[in-house]
Amino acid sequence: MKENVSLAFDRHRSEEMRSGLWKFVGLLLFIAFAFWSIDVLKIPIERVLGMFGRLGTMISERLLPPEMAFAAQPRVVDSIVETIEMSILGAVIGTIITMPLAWFAAWNVTPSRAILFPLSRAIIVVTRGMPTLMWAMVLVAIFGFGPFAGMLALVKASIGFAGKLMAEQIEAIDMKRVEAIRATGANELDVLFYAVIPQVWANWVGIIIYNWDAQLRNSTILGFVGAGGMGLYLREQISIIEYQTAMAIIVVIIVMVVLSETASHFLRHRLY
Amino acid sequence: MIDAAIANPLRDPKDTFRRYTIFGVCAVFVLAVAKDIIIDETDWERMGTLAEMVKTALFFLPEWSFFPQTVLPLLETLLIALWGTILAVGVSVPIAYLAARNITPMPWITYPLGRGLIVLSRSTHEIIFALIYVSALGLGPLPGILALATRSLGFLAKTTAEAIENADPGPIEAIEATGANRLMVFCFGVIPQIFPIFVGNVIFQMDINIRRASILGLVGGGGIGLMFAEVMQNLYYGRAGMIVVGITAMVVVGEFISNRVRERLI
Repeated sequence: MKENVSLAFDRHRSEEMRSGLWKFVGLLLFIAFAFWSIDVLKIPIERVLGMFGRLGTMISERLLPPEMAFAAQPRVVDSIVETIEMSILGAVIGTIITMPLAWFAAWNVTPSRAILFPLSRAIIVVTRGMPTLMWAMVLVAIFGFGPFAGMLALVKASIGFAGKLMAEQIEAIDMKRVEAIRATGANELDVLFYAVIPQVWANWVGIIIYNWDAQLRNSTILGFVGAGGMGLYLREQISIIEYQTAMAIIVVIIVMVVLSETASHFLRHRLY
Repeated sequence: MIDAAIANPLRDPKDTFRRYTIFGVCAVFVLAVAKDIIIDETDWERMGTLAEMVKTALFFLPEWSFFPQTVLPLLETLLIALWGTILAVGVSVPIAYLAARNITPMPWITYPLGRGLIVLSRSTHEIIFALIYVSALGLGPLPGILALATRSLGFLAKTTAEAIENADPGPIEAIEATGANRLMVFCFGVIPQIFPIFVGNVIFQMDINIRRASILGLVGGGGIGLMFAEVMQNLYYGRAGMIVVGITAMVVVGEFISNRVRERLI
């Protein structure tokens, strides 16, 4: 009996030591990785140490207080309205394009598993992966400066963002209703309208509102690359080192995003 | 669809009327916005013909021979995303501690503080954080990492605080009954319960941060974005196309791996 206890204790000890050893090796590997990445990224260590002081003076002396009078100028107010309009239009056109794509990209009810399913999945995956700001720069090069390029960039962002969520909703539906509609001899379009959409519509409306909220966030910085909206003034003020007026734009952006988030939260809970 | 609405005896006709009114108002509003953006504010004259646009678009076809030069910036981007996430993980745990209603130390002061930080972090685009950090710390990957950390700690803290609020109070009470202090309750009663959710969220955030890190360079935050800004400025559109393809590939692979790992965890 006593032997067994000490044996069990020994085993426990050796297990503990082994896990301790692994933790130690993991820590060493992590430190080595940290040094390697500092080397690759060429991070100046001396700057890291004085970082907090510099950030503190930057924020307290140069960024604050924001000069809100700048944001009240008519040209800036116009650009804010343009930002909101761009986000609405981009989100609406984007979701209209996304709806059929989501239908094609849902494995359980897709009309063609051989062609449309992989094609629409690929479109959704690629639009999700491509950074919106770079895509906006490409569009600006093609279509010129202005909100039109920004709107197209937001259409792309909507397809990637809403496409995946909407397709996931379709894949989670109750297949019994689909079978019931199919049993009446309905074609694919009938199945979509009478079995799929009634089941997902409530969630889709939520996704559409959420998507607009996300696109508003994106649209605030599109002007940075000349794609319309208030980002243009942010860039302008930063490049002439007027940080306090730039802060005013940033404050407007934060207020807008918080308001839209509250509105989208309210709408999603109110409507359904 | 209209048939389905009428055939459903449970649906109130007033409700249907309300729906169509809301739909109609929304449609008119969107059309007005569309007119403003597409007709009034777009300079169609200057845009040229469709053929010219197609010609410009064709310049963006990827120049594949440029690929070797994009490998190092892509690796940098990946490291920026990784370190941004690591820093965010470190900072988000204390903020989650403040912002979880059931364990926050002083509900009147610390709870609004934690929530405020979360809202600030979640509502501001990473480019804006990067601008502030770049203006304070100079160009390079360091402000990029900090910008990513600031941007992603809100999501991590929010989901963690929600997980803490939904945690089973049983183990927490059991630890409290042994006479443990707040920190010990947090470490041994709360953390083991939320750990799997937390790891899942961290992996998810890592995957999003790769996407975010790729554009930080546009404002001087290091990584592939810097190279993209350079080639766009010098009108090497083929190279720009190659960079976009490279980033898209990296993000898609990252997302695939992240989804697989999270499926395994849950």
